[in-house]
Amino acid sequence: MRPSNVTLTAPGPSDNPPVPERPRHTHHTSPRPLRARAARSLPSIFMVGPALAAIVAFILIPVVVAGRLSLTDWDGFSDNSKFVGLDNYVQLFHDPDVASAAYVTLVIAVVGTVACNVLGLGLAVMLNGQGRVKAMLRGLFFYPHVLGAVIIGFLWSAILSSEGAVNTLLTAAHRSKIPFLSDPQWALAAVVFVVIWSTFGVNVVLYLAGLQTIPESLLEAARIDGASRWQTFRQVVLPMLAPTVTINVVLVLVQLLRVYDLVLAMTDGGPAGHTQTYAYLVLSESFLNGKIGYASAQSIVLMVVIAVLAVVIVALRQRSEKAVEL
Amino acid sequence: MNRNAGSRVGSVMLGLFALVMLAPLYLVIVNAFKPESAIRQRPFSADPGVLSTDYLRSALSSPDYNIIKAFGVTVLFVVLVNALSLALAGPAAYVIARGTRPWHKGMLLVFLAGLFIPGQVLVIPVIYVLRFTGLMGTIPGFVMYEATLTLPLSMFLFVGYIKSIPRELDEAAQIDGAGRLRTFWQVIFPLMRPVVVTAVVLHTIGVWTDFVNPQIVLGPTSGLYTVMTGVYSAIGLHTTDLSVVYPTLLLAIAPVLVFFVIMQRKIVGGLTAGATKG
Repeated sequence: MRPSNVTLTAPGPSDNPPVPERPRHTHHTSPRPLRARAARSLPSIFMVGPALAAIVAFILIPVVVAGRLSLTDWDGFSDNSKFVGLDNYVQLFHDPDVASAAYVTLVIAVVGTVACNVLGLGLAVMLNGQGRVKAMLRGLFFYPHVLGAVIIGFLWSAILSSEGAVNTLLTAAHRSKIPFLSDPQWALAAVVFVVIWSTFGVNVVLYLAGLQTIPESLLEAARIDGASRWQTFRQVVLPMLAPTVTINVVLVLVQLLRVYDLVLAMTDGGPAGHTQTYAYLVLSESFLNGKIGYASAQSIVLMVVIAVLAVVIVALRQRSEKAVEL
Repeated sequence: MNRNAGSRVGSVMLGLFALVMLAPLYLVIVNAFKPESAIRQRPFSADPGVLSTDYLRSALSSPDYNIIKAFGVTVLFVVLVNALSLALAGPAAYVIARGTRPWHKGMLLVFLAGLFIPGQVLVIPVIYVLRFTGLMGTIPGFVMYEATLTLPLSMFLFVGYIKSIPRELDEAAQIDGAGRLRTFWQVIFPLMRPVVVTAVVLHTIGVWTDFVNPQIVLGPTSGLYTVMTGVYSAIGLHTTDLSVVYPTLLLAIAPVLVFFVIMQRKIVGGLTAGATKG
């Protein structure tokens, strides 16, 4: 056992400088024969190598390939493709289909992220703690995640179709039917609803995890000070949850920006492309129509947007968290 | 503030939410046993007069796709991807978590960058990588690609967890003569159980519900389909025939739901634990 363990517990801060950590690593820098050093790091290379090779082969190289394809007009099968420079990117910013898909995606992402986080946090606060009913409800909100988006899409499309269960109920109540899937605005609203329905359960779980990290003593102190439930939530719980909020916002946003299977099964992008998301456009329109070059440019833009958003959100949240601490 | 009234409003709200979550499930179960006309006219009723298992049986023997085979293939993929994912991510996470040099940090960043790369960006060019290596449309190709997609999340979970395991354990094992690889598998890996459970749960859900990758990477010519791609092609032909849609959906979700109900505490609990660690 290292002596540092003993000195670290000693109360006097002056006589235990943080040296014990150092000596362990000095042999790395000491001059040694190169071969011996290589032999020492061989097991490490052997342990990291396969995972790194997989990442390079199936993630890094494809991203580079996508970047290269995005500068060509390749259709996917002909032998010669032309290098077109940034033409695909220029075309993308003038394409009405891209604009419409970006709008649909933005609506889903913004409304969905807000709703999933509000619902997730609210329900987590209500379901925090022990109890059979609470445990069952946690499972109930989470179960869509094990079904799969394709199945959820087909299921809700059957329920919301013009002869589906909801419209049958409306007819029975002598109301007029609602064109959930055939009217452009209703269809988008329906997709947003189903996206939220199938997503927020994971936020409930993540917020519950966050709530469990708040020390009981803090909540008790607030109670003793006579804080109301809302005051405790606003002034104790919410600031403590700040990092959890960041994780939830980034995760849901990144996920909702690439909604594809659900739309494919629920509306197939319809009516007339009004629920066509950006990811749907990339895969179902551009890719399958043999516009590989153009689809690659579209997908690169999606990747950049997601990366920029994620970095900006994390940076903003870190700044505001620091502000709270000061 | 009236606390009782507040909690009563809360209970009513929770009840409403529960209803909205459960209604689709109820509709699938009831309507899987009804003829088309009964589904359209009285979707919520469970009138014993019209209930019949005929529709389920014809979905089971559907010529469009074999649900049993789809389940077998999907389970196989889940097992293979999880095994390969652990074999790759475990040792790599160990070296990176214990490493002190800048390149260890750099490698972690390379892995984590994968978290922000959408599958839709990768799936087009991955086809060319798989064709180049002769793995396109094959099980090994699909499993290797899908396992690679799990690595960023695994690394994120594992590296954080391994850092919380004291180094003294590694040193003791090494003094006893164990190499690094053995130290990892025999000393550290058994201690990682909670985080491994979380990773396996997440990857299993991910592989099970994945649609894009099996659809495109396995392709229609391979004759291999998962539950998702199978249901997609089976229902795609009959979207308007609800007496086909509901039984097909019920067959696809019933085994998963039974499994989920039994494992519910473990699944949700594992995720909660995983989230706090990460």
